[in-house]
Amino acid sequence: MTPAATRLVHTVGVGALEWLHAHRDGFRLEPDPPPDTGFLERFKPVGELAVICKVLFREGVAGSRQADLARRLLDHAWREVLDGGRMLVRGQRTEPLSPIPFEVYVPFRELGYSQPELEDAIRLNHRLDSWAGLEVLPVRRLGLGAFERRFGLAPSLPQEEAFGRTWLARSPEPWTVDTRVGYDITHTIFHLTDWGENPGGLPAAVTEHLRLWLPVWLDDWLDLERWDLLGELLVVDACLPDPTLDAAAWEGFAAAQQADGAMPALGPMPDGDPDDVFDVVYHSTLVAAFASVLATSRALARLTAEASA
Amino acid sequence: MEQPGTTTPLTGAVRELATQVVSALTSGGHSPMSAHTPVTVGDDELGLAAVRVLGADVLLPAVLHRTLPAPADLAVCEKAVLAYPPGPDASPASRWSHWAMVRTLADLGAPTAHTSFENPEPDAAWLEDLPWQGLAHQLALLAALAVPGADSAVAGIARRRTVDVARGFVRAVRRRGWLQAAATGRWLTLLDDVPDTLGLDAGLAFVALMGGDDPRVALHLQAARPVLPGAAAGRT
Repeated sequence: MTPAATRLVHTVGVGALEWLHAHRDGFRLEPDPPPDTGFLERFKPVGELAVICKVLFREGVAGSRQADLARRLLDHAWREVLDGGRMLVRGQRTEPLSPIPFEVYVPFRELGYSQPELEDAIRLNHRLDSWAGLEVLPVRRLGLGAFERRFGLAPSLPQEEAFGRTWLARSPEPWTVDTRVGYDITHTIFHLTDWGENPGGLPAAVTEHLRLWLPVWLDDWLDLERWDLLGELLVVDACLPDPTLDAAAWEGFAAAQQADGAMPALGPMPDGDPDDVFDVVYHSTLVAAFASVLATSRALARLTAEASA
Repeated sequence: MEQPGTTTPLTGAVRELATQVVSALTSGGHSPMSAHTPVTVGDDELGLAAVRVLGADVLLPAVLHRTLPAPADLAVCEKAVLAYPPGPDASPASRWSHWAMVRTLADLGAPTAHTSFENPEPDAAWLEDLPWQGLAHQLALLAALAVPGADSAVAGIARRRTVDVARGFVRAVRRRGWLQAAATGRWLTLLDDVPDTLGLDAGLAFVALMGGDDPRVALHLQAARPVLPGAAAGRT
């Protein structure tokens, strides 16, 4: 990757984080939700924010401004949105068996935030057969196991068995991938590598499958202008032992980003009520920050390796 | 690429010719001593244009079944070759298409082609540097060169870039480009080292299910059939 290309990749993340910080009020809970959605519905974005900020600190390629924005975003999410974790406790009391408060809490805990009352509930849940038997998609079961391990609990289902139930474990026909399968693939990789921290966590067959076919999927979702999934696939690329850092995909992705840093989810940027727009594009913008940090880190690592060779 | 729903006289003639070729391919090999029933319908301008579109595949039943081609087909193909040599501005793909037809005519013993043409292979280096998407597109246009035992510089590049051809197959299926999918799949049946995870056998069946109504798609799928796994014994 040329210095200009690396700069382009890095710039996507800088813009995305600026937008996320400027629109931090969009991370909001619904205190009195309609009965058909439920109180926990709006927790997911907060958890995703924490995961990506953690990646940003871990990779150490963010500038001081980025690191400062990420820290302020996290503090805002913990203090203002989650009320110091008390909202997680409330969520757990509303739906005691739901894994959502646990999933949202783990990255905050790893970043130094703490809510002991929630931890008691998590440990109790973990003792229940009901928790282990919860019927969730195989890729989510794999993720729950990873969160349990990171929390210090034994995974309810051994990782190998959980992985074996996923789509990707079978190395299936690459021409059958659609958008839904695409997200199953990306999240399987996120969980197997601990969000890019451990590329060595990928089984050899998965690495080979992605080496062969990821270029096709990148090409496809670039042409479809599905920026959200394209961004996740760019993360997957950066999780591989030998990432392609696909120039065409990155150029298309960067070109889709708005001047204020927002990344549309699909096609052009939507307009309308700011909260509605936030709900549509926050995820793709988080993904843009995530992909940028990982790819920048890999590009710099490659540069360092070349320089010392 | 033709737009769905639009039918020009040429499109219709090509479909008709492809239908005849498919019919000849599926009817199985005739006795080596008797010639095939003709697949071409005439040597007027439209008939010749249709022959030029399908190229050497017009003679594919005789090549694959190792039988004599119908004299009428040989005559029409020779006329097409003589009437429309590639001009100075011809694309590499049309040069190769012409080359393949001349070679096939010569292999089948057509007297004019055999004696009148010096037929050096066109340049294939331009394929080497194409990204995998472009390579797969060009190979799909040149699928008439994908014939068991018929080597060429194009086939050599396909062998060296098998993974890229396989990616082109995936791309075409994903985009529902059944003609390109069938054509790249046809190439893949000739190549060693196709990744198992591609699922080529099921992929070709899927293309047949989804796009096999188009006789040009069916033609490529029929061409791919003799060398599918389990039927590879006769491969040269």
